[in-house]
Amino acid sequence: MTGVALVGAAAVPCGRIQRPREAPLQALEHETLAGCVLAAMADAGLPKESIGALVFTHPRPYTPQRYFGTFMANWLRVATSGVLVEVLGDGMTGGLAFDAAAEAIASGRAEVALALGANFETATPSPEHMNLIMRATGDLDFHVPFGFTPLSWYAMDAVRYMHEHGVAREALATVAVKNRRHASLNPLAQYRRPVTLEEVLAQRPIVEPLGLYEVAPMSDGAACLVLAREEVARSLGRPYARVRGRGFYHEGAHQISEVPNDMIAFDAAARAGRAAFAAAGIGPQDVDLAELYAPATIVEVLVSEALGFAPRGRGAHAAAAGETALGGRIPINTSGGLLSRGHPPYISPLYAFVELAEQLRQRAGERQVAGAEIGVAACELGNYNAALVHVLEARA
Amino acid sequence: MRLAIERVAGRRPWPPRCSEFTERFWRALAEGRLTTTRCAACARLAFPPRPFCPHCWHRSVEWVELRPGGTVYSSTVVHAAPAVFAHEAPYRVGIVDLDDGLRIATRLLGVAEGFAVGARAELVVLAYDDGPLFAARVRG
Repeated sequence: MTGVALVGAAAVPCGRIQRPREAPLQALEHETLAGCVLAAMADAGLPKESIGALVFTHPRPYTPQRYFGTFMANWLRVATSGVLVEVLGDGMTGGLAFDAAAEAIASGRAEVALALGANFETATPSPEHMNLIMRATGDLDFHVPFGFTPLSWYAMDAVRYMHEHGVAREALATVAVKNRRHASLNPLAQYRRPVTLEEVLAQRPIVEPLGLYEVAPMSDGAACLVLAREEVARSLGRPYARVRGRGFYHEGAHQISEVPNDMIAFDAAARAGRAAFAAAGIGPQDVDLAELYAPATIVEVLVSEALGFAPRGRGAHAAAAGETALGGRIPINTSGGLLSRGHPPYISPLYAFVELAEQLRQRAGERQVAGAEIGVAACELGNYNAALVHVLEARA
Repeated sequence: MRLAIERVAGRRPWPPRCSEFTERFWRALAEGRLTTTRCAACARLAFPPRPFCPHCWHRSVEWVELRPGGTVYSSTVVHAAPAVFAHEAPYRVGIVDLDDGLRIATRLLGVAEGFAVGARAELVVLAYDDGPLFAARVRG
């Protein structure tokens, strides 16, 4: 994937945007997203006519407007000769949108491509919402009848990790404190009030041993990324981020396979990471910051180990020691991550690229990683049964 | 080899679907037998049962009975439950490595505290009013 650049990005703050179905005034996905598109294109400095491809994240089923992508093309009045498509892949959806937009450029089908979407879901109460999403993270007939929830799989990762490595819940929970501190510096973040470790540990249990602040909230959001052929990016005369490597792996397993494996090795992330680093010609030690899809503290720890940012079994200690915080050895989730920036699942990876665009163009303000040159974005589906990893590089 | 059958009043909150193929699994389970398919070519087990081998894609499989014993690999207690399970919350679920080499995920019974990682467990049948489910009961 050579010659593809990220040249513009915009998003609305994560939070509660959607209103109850019976409210007289509704918040509409297309109105919110259109604002992001105009802002992202202005950020890129490109005219609307340059757009050759639109890759949308598929909206949640709570979005009443169907064929959202083609509806949106009309709303924006954008004609495309490359492709217009909605993609879907659970938590990986936003990453797949970026990937498909980059592919449209790399294949020569478009000079400029947008990866964009809105994820609205907060008007649905969490227990009702879980009736839906439990069907995405397990076999409908052989897992779901027992009451597994998406987060329950991560909780079992945490239990196994604590058992194998002798790590206390407190060490894992420091990830939540760290991410909240990062979020306090991010205007796009849903939860910005700093919290203490004691506060994190005192929250009500969600899936033991994880409490409310150790897992991601429900969030609405909208975001738009502008990708362009690198020659186009260079002609704009402003900083951009170049796609330097990409890796993907799907284990051929859905949440869990009947063949016993090392569940907390996150093998797909390790393989996708190695492929992305190999394509980029770098190693994990060369990375300046990483935005990792992690709907729970334990997930950030396990992905950081799988990608080589910390040795096996040492990820929680690395976080507790401040190595993954701003100013540390390898800052992870400077945006606040899914836990605190917020988690509109289908577009959470788009927000990861928004953060990389800010950091790699040295515009992240108080949370800027000094001299950030190499950034990594990783997302997943299942219990990291699949992973998609991109390596981006700052170009001035 | 038979699984203990425990009566549970009421209906299964999320009854599994039954096909012409899997009906045999659920019927055997109701009688206390845990069954699955084994490949006639490569002899590897699959779970859930399939009409072909997922490992080598051979189309010929045979039904075999599994032993109920296993070891807990991990577990959790679900407090924030989907609406259909809210009346049962909090409840325990876990991953169990069966002695026959299969890893399954199911309800975990008989754990008072902690997560029972490494504990011995036996699969049991939960006989609801509308049909069976299986679960793992940890032997204390």
